[in-house]
Amino acid sequence: MKLKTYIYTLILLFVGLSSCNDAIEITQPGRLSADKAFQSVEDLKLGLFSAYDIPDVTHEITFASTFTDEISIGFDNGGQGLGDGRYGFILNSTSTAPANIWINNYALINSVNRLIEGADLITPTASEQAEYDNILGQAYALRAYAHFQLFSYFTTDYTDGTALSAIALDYVPTIDQELGRSTNAEVVAQITADLNQANSLMNDDTSDPFFLNKDVVMAMRARLAAYTGDYAAAKTLANDLLTKYPLTDQTTYLEMFDDENQAECIFLLQRTIGDDHDTQATGGGGWVGALYAFVNATITGSPYFEMGRALFNELQDGDIRYNVLVDDTSLIDSEYPNSSNFKDNDVLVISKYSGSEGQPLMNDLKVFRSAEMLFLVAEAEADAGNFSEVARLLAMLRTARFGSDQPELTLNSQAEAFGAILDERRIELAFEGHRWKDLKRLGIRAGRSVNRDPLDCAVNGACNIASDDYRFTLPIPLAEMNGNSVIREQQNPGY
Amino acid sequence: MKQFLILMSLMFFAIGLSYGQRTITGTVSDGTETLIGANVLVKGTTIGVATDFDGKFSLEVPDDAQFIEISYTGYSTQEVDITGQSEFNIVMQEGETLQEAVVLGYRSSTKPKSNVAVKTLSSSTIQDRPNPSVVQTLQGQVAGLNIVTSSGQPGGNSEIILRGVNSIGGNVEPLFIIDGVPVDEDNFRSINQNEIESVTVLKDAGATAIYGNRGANGVIVIKTKNGGYNSGLKIRYSGQVSRSSRQAIDYDLMDAQEQLRLEAKYGSGRGSTISEDSIGRVQGTDWLDVFLRDPITHSHNLALSFGGENFNVYSNFGYLDSEGILIDSKLERYNWRTNLTGKSADEKFSYGTNISLNYSKNNEPNSVGSSAINRNYVLGAFQSVPYISLDEYVDGAGLLSPLTFANTPLFLWDRVQTYTRFENELKAILSIDASYKIAEGLTFSSTLGGDFTDQNLTRAEGPESFNALLFAETGNTTPGFQDQANTRVFSYNWLNSLNYTKQFGGAHTIDVGLYTEYFRAFYDRFGYRNEGLDPRTFYPGDGSGFIDDNSDNDFFADQANANILKAGLFSYFGSLDYDYGNKYGIGFTLRRDASYRFASSNKWGTFYAVSARWNINEESFMEGSPFNLLKLRASYGTTGNQRIVDSGGFLNYFGGGDLTENFFATSSGYGGSNSIGLSQIGNSTLKWETVNQVNVGLDFELLSNRLRGAVDVYQKTTEDLFQGRPISAVNATTLINANTGSLRNRGFDFDISYDFLVNPNGLNMRAYFNTNFNKQEIIDLPTPDGTIQSGNVITREGSILREYYVYQYAGVNPANGNLLFLDANGDITENPSPDTDRVYTDKNRYADYQGGFGMFADYKGIFLDLSFNYVTGVYKFDFDLAGAMDPTNIGQFRHSRDMLKAWENPGDVTNVASLNATNLALDSSSDRWLMNASYLRLRFIRLGYNFSPTIVNKLGVSNLGVYFNAENVVTWTPWRGYDVETTETQRGYPAPRTLSLGLDIEF
Repeated sequence: MKLKTYIYTLILLFVGLSSCNDAIEITQPGRLSADKAFQSVEDLKLGLFSAYDIPDVTHEITFASTFTDEISIGFDNGGQGLGDGRYGFILNSTSTAPANIWINNYALINSVNRLIEGADLITPTASEQAEYDNILGQAYALRAYAHFQLFSYFTTDYTDGTALSAIALDYVPTIDQELGRSTNAEVVAQITADLNQANSLMNDDTSDPFFLNKDVVMAMRARLAAYTGDYAAAKTLANDLLTKYPLTDQTTYLEMFDDENQAECIFLLQRTIGDDHDTQATGGGGWVGALYAFVNATITGSPYFEMGRALFNELQDGDIRYNVLVDDTSLIDSEYPNSSNFKDNDVLVISKYSGSEGQPLMNDLKVFRSAEMLFLVAEAEADAGNFSEVARLLAMLRTARFGSDQPELTLNSQAEAFGAILDERRIELAFEGHRWKDLKRLGIRAGRSVNRDPLDCAVNGACNIASDDYRFTLPIPLAEMNGNSVIREQQNPGY
Repeated sequence: MKQFLILMSLMFFAIGLSYGQRTITGTVSDGTETLIGANVLVKGTTIGVATDFDGKFSLEVPDDAQFIEISYTGYSTQEVDITGQSEFNIVMQEGETLQEAVVLGYRSSTKPKSNVAVKTLSSSTIQDRPNPSVVQTLQGQVAGLNIVTSSGQPGGNSEIILRGVNSIGGNVEPLFIIDGVPVDEDNFRSINQNEIESVTVLKDAGATAIYGNRGANGVIVIKTKNGGYNSGLKIRYSGQVSRSSRQAIDYDLMDAQEQLRLEAKYGSGRGSTISEDSIGRVQGTDWLDVFLRDPITHSHNLALSFGGENFNVYSNFGYLDSEGILIDSKLERYNWRTNLTGKSADEKFSYGTNISLNYSKNNEPNSVGSSAINRNYVLGAFQSVPYISLDEYVDGAGLLSPLTFANTPLFLWDRVQTYTRFENELKAILSIDASYKIAEGLTFSSTLGGDFTDQNLTRAEGPESFNALLFAETGNTTPGFQDQANTRVFSYNWLNSLNYTKQFGGAHTIDVGLYTEYFRAFYDRFGYRNEGLDPRTFYPGDGSGFIDDNSDNDFFADQANANILKAGLFSYFGSLDYDYGNKYGIGFTLRRDASYRFASSNKWGTFYAVSARWNINEESFMEGSPFNLLKLRASYGTTGNQRIVDSGGFLNYFGGGDLTENFFATSSGYGGSNSIGLSQIGNSTLKWETVNQVNVGLDFELLSNRLRGAVDVYQKTTEDLFQGRPISAVNATTLINANTGSLRNRGFDFDISYDFLVNPNGLNMRAYFNTNFNKQEIIDLPTPDGTIQSGNVITREGSILREYYVYQYAGVNPANGNLLFLDANGDITENPSPDTDRVYTDKNRYADYQGGFGMFADYKGIFLDLSFNYVTGVYKFDFDLAGAMDPTNIGQFRHSRDMLKAWENPGDVTNVASLNATNLALDSSSDRWLMNASYLRLRFIRLGYNFSPTIVNKLGVSNLGVYFNAENVVTWTPWRGYDVETTETQRGYPAPRTLSLGLDIEF
């Protein structure tokens, strides 16, 4: 009798426990499921802010600086640039630059495609339509930008439409998809389509250079036209922008690099205290100045990379760019080739990214500037054989930078014209991530290549690399090949 | 009445034996010879004496004493009624000790009746070890159990692997159960080893399948001590003082002058700026002596136990104050435990409750292993240039200019002065169990247990510290930060069972068990980071010095954080065991498990096992054989793993809780604005990882149990392996958690011990040896080409796990001093390709053979315990050596004297590359620094003396012993680095050598 009571109790207990689904059906707090992410135009705007947070040119800047001739190994270097071989021209599928650039831009494409697909499911009211369109327009422009970046780094020849390029992607892929590379023609077609779409959806307000707008679309079109050899188109677009964003005086220029104004900036990526990039990341992703120094842009800020001596030698007194690029605390040994201790007595501290808002080394990332538009016009003129026009444009830039009239160069050949453009680009756009792409595009036509001072490359003997070397196309990174067997068969030549 | 007697006897003891007494005398023999030194004790008291050289004893006993107990090693303890008698002739019976119970977690069995592969260690292996981590003490003691400790931090975490790694991406460590409560396997620093009665390692599926979802990596069942019924009050004090020091290294590091000359030659650093004369006058500082030290540890432990007829209690209080060899590392802990056990007079109802409260303060330097020259003290010890002197340090501000790498030791010395990091932790493990015999053979039991941890982490970087000043924003005159985080983890487990035992037809016995188990765990964490500290009022952990946010800048904008996670499991299962005449046995278990992790994909998993045994020694044809036990066992079964990511630490139960779904997150976006972005790409096909294990074993005991051992052969196959599967970057990530592939571990365990000298009055010696051989093979990897490569490591079908995949280093080119390598065709090249020239090495970081051996000897109270352990077939990159041989470090860090052999002129034949070799960076994908990390270590020595009962009794105690311990005494290894055992690849915290003196007193 008693036994039965117990057994019944136990059975009840067992049954009771069996229904304990609370142990298994658990929803973790704070989750936003994918189907509820975008439900209003306001949500789309927040989605756009998430996408804008992804593009990061610091990976390109540090790669261009160390792989070419912008920097030298600093007196306070702890193996940076040498340990991974970048400064020794070592580049392969395990290198960080290709992986960072590839992954960063595909993260942006993925984010934008999700936003665009999310927008499809939202029907804006009449009062929301304008904002909805403007958000979508920026999304398309971001997608174009990411594809353009991938195109810039991973194809062998910008002007060859049939050459393998990046993967053109205008939808959200599934995790098991393994996509092969598109051709340049396909990628350029998608960039063009996205830019057209963006232009038709965006509003006409171009006052905020921290966001993509119709002027930035125009700048992208100009750069793309120049890269692909359509210099006629490039010239028109770049001239329009140069008119709208004229070159400034010396003081404004100096202040622009302290982020006190955005005078010559068509587009820049904002970096501010407390944002996701507010961190010391010497490999890229954080403060841009931390790509050159650990602490600040002075001689006591542990500048592990210094300005390359050869680049320094190109700078002249009176040029405001000298003040932007070289910190006052630098030690300059005019007799440096005969110095007893070149490393410690000739310390050229890079100060283009000295910091803003009180935060050393943190600066906005300048992506499109009017000076680049001037160079695109000059390239178009050089391409067309108008060498005097090239000389006039370069002198115009130098006049602005020196604050006094500068003489025009005498340019007698296309090679000389392109050479002069490349030399000026080297100074004007130093440490902004252009040098590697410029040598790739124009190095052969201009008769220029990586040019390091012999003392700078004594450490590893890596002084020169030809501008048509296979390493002027990045390898498809191992991280991609590991998860994509199709692309494994499509590695760039030389790797 | 009994309790009263115990109390009475206690009082006797306390007031000096002044009550009425009488004297009893007698002789103890084994029937043929008298026994010298046998213990004669009045039951329930500490009144006792040892027999003399003629086997005689004489003892004054209280008038009301009823029984005496006579005990002698190798003989059964006897209890003799002394009422009305005063002369005794006692004959001891040899060796019929009780069958040792084998703890199987949910069930227990006896050695002859157990069908499964288990190994039990008793408290004598564990207690009084100087190592604060009980887990580290197990290394080398159990065949197949490999414990790799990656840090010398006192009580630091270890990697525990039983019979090879079962998973690639998921959890690989066994389940730990303390008194029926599953506990966090990464947190043993709060557990006091002196409280432990036994540790049982369950190895095969027959034993672990009943743990279903958590048994895949084996189960380790820890039982704490109990009072024991009808036992007198026992008080045991043990105390220990230890001194630790660093183990030897073999890098042959340069002294100050050599380092300066190397710099002069290379043209970098201080050496290149001063003359040879000045170099000759430099006195060095060996920073190993500054950042590493020889600290003292002391510990005290007091245990009390007693038991009455129906109730017993065990209480323990422990205190440990242990400093690590790395500066600023320390563990201080307090343990309090009370275990109560009781039963009803009719023995139908029994209950127990175990309460363990532990409080510890742990200073564990962070950034260990990192390359941060201003944060990693280990880097300061190993890599600082020896010509920098501690006298050069003034304060943090003084280091700001000039800022040079060579000042690394000064940056770190400043951090020692100004940085605070400690964790206060309260850990409670509580359990209550009760069982009731409903009817003959039918028992209902319930066990409810909880594991609660509350940890408070404080980190503060003082406002005047070098680091705070260095990274201060322009114009910020009160930099520094304080960060505090409170983490609470609570898990509870409720197990209900109904067990039925029935013997019928004489020889048949069945045991049936039905169980349900319900598990939940909760995690919450919150904290803040305060930016800005006022040096006038700052004190680590206190908020008086906090600087408030202002409208001018965002320098002092503070951050708050909070996180909640939940986990849960539910299971029901059953077991059936059948025995025929103690000769044959068979067991089944079946278990259904549900995990919250797969709630939306594959919630339920089913696991089972079959095991059987044949006690050959019970067969009639074995009569007269030397075997006391000869048992053949076999088992096959499956176990599951639901811990898909190896989160480690507090997140163990919670990591990867909902990886099956896609999520967005609201977080900080562009320019710090709010944003909505993708946070997780889900894998909706995730399911249980399953281990199938087959095991065949033989247990043997022979020569009157003097030779004992077991041999086991096993094969484990893990299916649906958890691992990161590479995916295309178009998904915004390049790795996703997935069930991919299948892995096999094959091997054997062998365990033997032999009492080769048994002389009750003289020298006793026992030796033991255990070994495990384990070989993994990836049997299926469904990626397009059957491989997954990650840097220098590849996992591929048909080969071992995480095989090193590098090109071969081939020396130095005598013509130019560059490094030489072999390309894929085996031809010499200076420019190998990391894409096409790598070769498979058949080497990885997991052991082939590992095990231990040792001996125990005692002679008239003097005892010696020696234990060795060994590991073979382990290969690791010696990045510390690579750093000491890296010319690009010259001027900043310390080098090996091997650098003096660097190539200088064409024709030089050397194995050290030119300081200016152009392809130095290419060695990073080569096997240049891949080294053999096999070792043999004299892990532990204990030499002690237990005072003879005669002396002990005169002192008024029942036992008194003193001993000397040494841990990590000598290591033989080809590895040149700081600690062969560490898994940390670079700048890790090496395990110390520890010498200690201890004292045990029992009342």
